[in-house]
Amino acid sequence: MFQKLRDILSKVDADYADVRYESKKDTVISFNGKELTEIGLNTTDGFVLRALKGGGMASTVFTKESDVDKATRKVTENAQLIGRNSKEPVRLAKTEVVKDAFSPPLKEDPRKIPIQEKLELVRKYNDIPLSNEKIATTSFIYQEIIREKHFVSSEGSEIKEDLVTTRLSGGIVSKDGNLTQNVRVAMGGSNGFSTIRNQEHYVEDRTRVVVDLLSAKPIRGGTCNCVFNPSMAGVFTHEAFGHFSEADLIENLPTMREKMKLGNKLGNEVLNISDDATMPDQLGFYKYDDEGVKVRPTALMKNGVLTGRMHSRRTAAAFGEPISGHCIAQDYRFPPIIRMGTIFIHRGTLSLEELLSRLGEGYYVLDAKGGQTSGENFTFGAQHGYRVEGGKIKEMVRDINISGNLYETLKNIVALGDDFVLSKTGGCGKGPGSQTNIRSCFGGPHILVNNLVVGGA
Amino acid sequence: MEKLLQMAKKASDQAEVFSISYSDDAVYFENAKLNNMDSKVQSGVSLRIIKDGKLGFAYTRNLIDRQELLQNALDSLKGGVEAKYDFPLTKNLPKLDTYDSSVEKVSGSQMVEECTRVCDAIKSQTDSEIEAASFVHTSDLRILNTAGTDVPTKSGYYAIFANPIYPGTGVGVYRIFVKKGFQKTPDELIDELIKLYKLSSKAISPRGGRMKVLFMPNSLITLNWRISSGTSSKSVYEKISPLGDKMGEKVFSEKVSIYDDSLDDKYPGARAFDDEGVACRKYAVVEGGVLKSYYYDLEYAGKLSAKPTGNGFRTGMWGGDPIALKPTPAFSRMTIKPGNKSFWELVKSMDRGIIVENALGAHSGNIPNGDYSIGADPALYVENGEIVGRVKDAMVAGNVYETLKNVVDLGDTLHPSQDDAWVPAILCDDVSVATKG
Repeated sequence: MFQKLRDILSKVDADYADVRYESKKDTVISFNGKELTEIGLNTTDGFVLRALKGGGMASTVFTKESDVDKATRKVTENAQLIGRNSKEPVRLAKTEVVKDAFSPPLKEDPRKIPIQEKLELVRKYNDIPLSNEKIATTSFIYQEIIREKHFVSSEGSEIKEDLVTTRLSGGIVSKDGNLTQNVRVAMGGSNGFSTIRNQEHYVEDRTRVVVDLLSAKPIRGGTCNCVFNPSMAGVFTHEAFGHFSEADLIENLPTMREKMKLGNKLGNEVLNISDDATMPDQLGFYKYDDEGVKVRPTALMKNGVLTGRMHSRRTAAAFGEPISGHCIAQDYRFPPIIRMGTIFIHRGTLSLEELLSRLGEGYYVLDAKGGQTSGENFTFGAQHGYRVEGGKIKEMVRDINISGNLYETLKNIVALGDDFVLSKTGGCGKGPGSQTNIRSCFGGPHILVNNLVVGGA
Repeated sequence: MEKLLQMAKKASDQAEVFSISYSDDAVYFENAKLNNMDSKVQSGVSLRIIKDGKLGFAYTRNLIDRQELLQNALDSLKGGVEAKYDFPLTKNLPKLDTYDSSVEKVSGSQMVEECTRVCDAIKSQTDSEIEAASFVHTSDLRILNTAGTDVPTKSGYYAIFANPIYPGTGVGVYRIFVKKGFQKTPDELIDELIKLYKLSSKAISPRGGRMKVLFMPNSLITLNWRISSGTSSKSVYEKISPLGDKMGEKVFSEKVSIYDDSLDDKYPGARAFDDEGVACRKYAVVEGGVLKSYYYDLEYAGKLSAKPTGNGFRTGMWGGDPIALKPTPAFSRMTIKPGNKSFWELVKSMDRGIIVENALGAHSGNIPNGDYSIGADPALYVENGEIVGRVKDAMVAGNVYETLKNVVDLGDTLHPSQDDAWVPAILCDDVSVATKG
């Protein structure tokens, strides 16, 4: 394969070029309620070619080898067109030339497990909620996504890396009269099939929560203080801060770039945030990004002060900051863009009881249900929560969505717990075509946050 | 394709081949300057077979080895996914004008020029940091099945997107203009964008409460997803739709009529058949506020002993890869009937309220139950019929089955929303808005 990619690059007349070929194996086992709705294993593949020429950089995706000449022509034409229309030429930060073949260590390689065994395991989990009479339906989807990537650059890098993601995701829907409630189910990881095993208690717990939600009250809208569990703290870090530590989102917004200058104080001084995809055995793990740059642990915030940023080679050069190895594509259908790997708040020292007691009045909010960021604003949902009074957990509440603001909310994280949990499945959409990063990993400890806007009646 | 279908026919009772090729060109501007371009040429083939009432499914990008694709489909039969339907025989479809061949001739330079022109126009009158983009898409689709259906369609569009961003925020008021072929962005659209931007430049903090909310087309994905969930045959079959027992009943304000209509070829993306080769037609899902129909693909029509309505599409909430996704029930093109007030007349009729330009977190509420709780991104604040500024950190929450009972008026023009629906702005009363004010 490397030879084929070298041949493609030899046809590209450019100052720099790289090409990535991926073969992607997808296994899907899907249940809706008690019915199996999909099962199968399929392989697809394609190429992504990028070129820097005349000061512009462009990319092209093609799935048929016979389109290679068309792709080569287009990518150089487009790069030159950009170059002609821009005053500042694109430069790429230096990176070491790498020749490596890397397969991640796996605890049980999912490729070696018969599909029938996987089917039975998914069915077993799916049967747990379905045996409860309050459960209307379920959606349990097992996915195994294996990206076998080959990367070659005109600078001489040649890298093969496999990314093996196993996940079981979906939801459970409960019903009482005309009221339905739902919770998510999420298990999996980057280090093998073992992450899917022995999850019966987890599924039982999700079932209990979704049944309890039927008698929970909708949360009241307004401003309040909250304790977040690690799942919420993680998505909060990802949405409230992480996206704006992705250099491409602010590169060409001069006023935001000024506010996000390294050295600026943006958060409360208790707050330390890092992105570290090199930690083993967690969802976000990888060795090289899709520009062939080795990923590095990146300290983003120390004691509330901005200390680093996630970069592509292009943005690292534009910002004059160190490369970090965060330029990642969803798969062979997309050029790479800057992505968080594993972003988290470092743990503090307080127990959950201490955090709740400091909270006094407010809500204890659990389990992320998706978030979204646009500019300085972000929202994110929770699957359930509890009203807290006098530092004690009271009744369950539902329909929790919270909004915040990049510049204010980080200052309102006032205390950190002594625990630490990272997410098991991901699904962050970003950029043109909404590329989904299924390995987007986040987490942290329990945290206490003041002055949040909560939507509600 | 014919050869693959024949091989599949020999090995099964029924077969269907879905074949697609598509190309995309895009240019991206940041801070009013050309930043990036990408292009894509992709194709793929997806095979469904039915044997002894079970479904086999497989797909590939490159049909180099037909036998391997067929074998993958045969392997997946073993899982035992039930198929209580037959692939349809579809012929004599209406001829739609889905393709303007001039779209093929739109060059990168032309897209760059037009984006530059739009950016310059906005820049000359505002202090915004402008994000813009332009897209050209063409697609060739063909569906064949062993019942004798062989339906091809070619489609394409040209689009431009412009978003003047308030400095320091990363947030703006954006508009999308989409046509079957290249057209100059109308001056009225650019002028409206500039006017809206200027009126909303000042950040203000009004108090929250229940008030009028004008959902703009860009934000209507919030309500559309919940309507789509409630009227889907899948939700009805799973008994989780709040509309499951409401056929013929009034569920929304009489001002609300919702159609599925992909036959109208005025707009890009018209379709005479769905992704299963079933003929599409225009029909009412909700008319005068009364629930008239659910929408069905082959699978859920089979399960509910109903007729398929031409609503089997290979799509997910965020789009997805058409060859890798199995068809599920989806609107072919949700169309909400417009009212007769212009946008500015709607604004004038608001005593106090907000305009939700774009929604954040539309996906994270309880969609089956109809609940939503979104960040308004941005929210423009209206007092006595005038836009007086924009509200930071405003959240709008409610339930679609309540909100759409309180419709005051609908706008007179249809715009594309993020989920490919064509919708007018919808003004609702008595919606909960939380703010920091």
